[in-house]
Amino acid sequence: MKPIDPIKREKALALLADTSDSKLRTHLNSCVRCGLCATSCMYYDKFHEAKYIPAVKVDIVASIYKRYNTFLGKHAPKLVNARPLNEETAEEMVDLLFGSCTMCGRCVTHCSIGVDISYLVHKGREMLAEMGMVPASLQSTVDAAVKTGNNMAIPTEEFIDTIEWMEEELQDEVEDENAHIPLNEEDCNIFYTLNPREPKFFPLSIKAMAKIFYAAKESWTLSTKYYDVTNYGYFNGNTAEATLIARNLHDEVLRLKGKRLILGECGHGSYANRWEGPNYLGHPYPFDMITAVELIKEYIDSGRIHLDKSLNTEVVTIHDPCNLIRNGGLFKTLRYVLHASCSNIIEMNPYGNDNYCCGGGGGQLAMSEYNERRLGIGEIKANQIRNSGAKIVITPCHNCVDQLLQLNHTYKLGVRIMTVAEIVANALIL
Amino acid sequence: MDWYHILALVAFVACCGMFLGHFIHLIRLGMPKDKAKAQGKTAAGIRYAYINSMMPQHKESAYLHLPTYTAGIIYHLGTFLSLLLLLYSLINIYIGWAMPEVFRWIIGACLLISTLFGLGVLIKRLVKQELRSFSNPDDYISNGLTTLFQAITALFITFPHIPAIEMVYFILAVLFLVWFPLGKTRHILYFFFARLHLGYFYGRRGTWPEKSKL
Repeated sequence: MKPIDPIKREKALALLADTSDSKLRTHLNSCVRCGLCATSCMYYDKFHEAKYIPAVKVDIVASIYKRYNTFLGKHAPKLVNARPLNEETAEEMVDLLFGSCTMCGRCVTHCSIGVDISYLVHKGREMLAEMGMVPASLQSTVDAAVKTGNNMAIPTEEFIDTIEWMEEELQDEVEDENAHIPLNEEDCNIFYTLNPREPKFFPLSIKAMAKIFYAAKESWTLSTKYYDVTNYGYFNGNTAEATLIARNLHDEVLRLKGKRLILGECGHGSYANRWEGPNYLGHPYPFDMITAVELIKEYIDSGRIHLDKSLNTEVVTIHDPCNLIRNGGLFKTLRYVLHASCSNIIEMNPYGNDNYCCGGGGGQLAMSEYNERRLGIGEIKANQIRNSGAKIVITPCHNCVDQLLQLNHTYKLGVRIMTVAEIVANALIL
Repeated sequence: MDWYHILALVAFVACCGMFLGHFIHLIRLGMPKDKAKAQGKTAAGIRYAYINSMMPQHKESAYLHLPTYTAGIIYHLGTFLSLLLLLYSLINIYIGWAMPEVFRWIIGACLLISTLFGLGVLIKRLVKQELRSFSNPDDYISNGLTTLFQAITALFITFPHIPAIEMVYFILAVLFLVWFPLGKTRHILYFFFARLHLGYFYGRRGTWPEKSKL
């Protein structure tokens, strides 16, 4: 591998000396390497190799921290395994922090100490981003979002064509030629966002959400320029790029004078905007921002939509996206919406805050370099689905949908994968 | 007062000073300045992080590894007891109070048990290839020194009138106190901050306190 630029290396090291709050210092000094986190990690559970133990991922970041920031690390590095940040360490970091972690946070809640392992993995990714060592496929996804406004580089004309097609589909379904999917309208109550996988591969989920808006008689719009809810800048560790992507969406909401930003069905996109966006931009957002799942719950509560769960009678199970449930607190909200829409729900084991990642989180779906590993760890989720006996898997995250579709094919599960909007739209009484 | 008493006192003050320095630094750095609107109760999340989420039924690291978890709990209790007894022993250099024999034997027995569990944790690290693969000298020194310190505390408390034991006790105490804030043993302080941050993180998001499952 090529040598690390000394200036970039210094910038990477400066990230570990961050003194903006006590979080980083705390977590870097907390791990005792008991190894009890091993069985909470899908990578370890699947492959049974020591390198996949979450403590090892923590240790590689902490070892660099110790080398440059602690007394023993500086003067007796071998005693505490303090390692220099060199090409060898950096290469190992890429494999462990990008290629072996979905940042699902399952190990965090089960850690005997309470080390925020995902946070340290993200910090390590930030260091690698500073040194220009982000896996090429992930970086190209971010580049596409930065250059075109959406991570799949969908041309605006193609997007508009898809939306117009879905509008016609919607009109046919609700038998109302006035049913509409608004584009670039100002002063709407709702500024809605999509995962670009929707217009590219799964346009029917756009129609499903449009049907819910139609039933709720909502004033809403999509932007044709910045509709992408995802932010892979969160995963590649490049804060400047993450900030730019978040700012584009934020500014577009302001430009169209949207009153509420609704984060489409995407786990990390919701996380990056809802929890990280205000920190990237350095101020709270001047408009309300909630997820599509929360909005649908509001519609049900307020009586703006009416559902008949007898319209969804097949056995369904729920896949909990890590960034919406464990890291987003929407466990009950999601159950509320789905129990109002389906008559036959069976939970996976484990589920909720204890769920297993689908295997595609942490940017894994965008990193073709690690496809084999990703599908390997997905076997755990595939077994959960198979054991549930469900015929339909519902998840409010398009990245999870993508991974689950691949698991369905690879492990021959014979199930259908649906989004929340799709199952709710099925149960709508118009 | 003998030289080893003085050495132990100096080491104790230095150790407390170092931990106080770490503590003040962390307090000064403060909590993250999160600009995102909270959707849960931070204080409730923090309470949950210190209490409920530490219960064995909430942690795979506990309920999937009950022998290790139990050993760890007893071992840590032994460490806290040893630290309290060290403070007592240092004060007792001046006041010369004689602890009733029955207390001495009970405490000694408790510490002997915690020492054995500490030894068990150390042996596990030594024999389990996977655990050994990512262990470093600090892991063995911290574990070994703490276990040794508990063992000598048990001996000293049980037989306080044997000069050789007293001398070894205070010398080992010095070694322990020197390593304590430098090695991974410093997690005695960072653990509490880690739980605080975790409670803050999950509390703001409304993940903790965990809602009852439907």
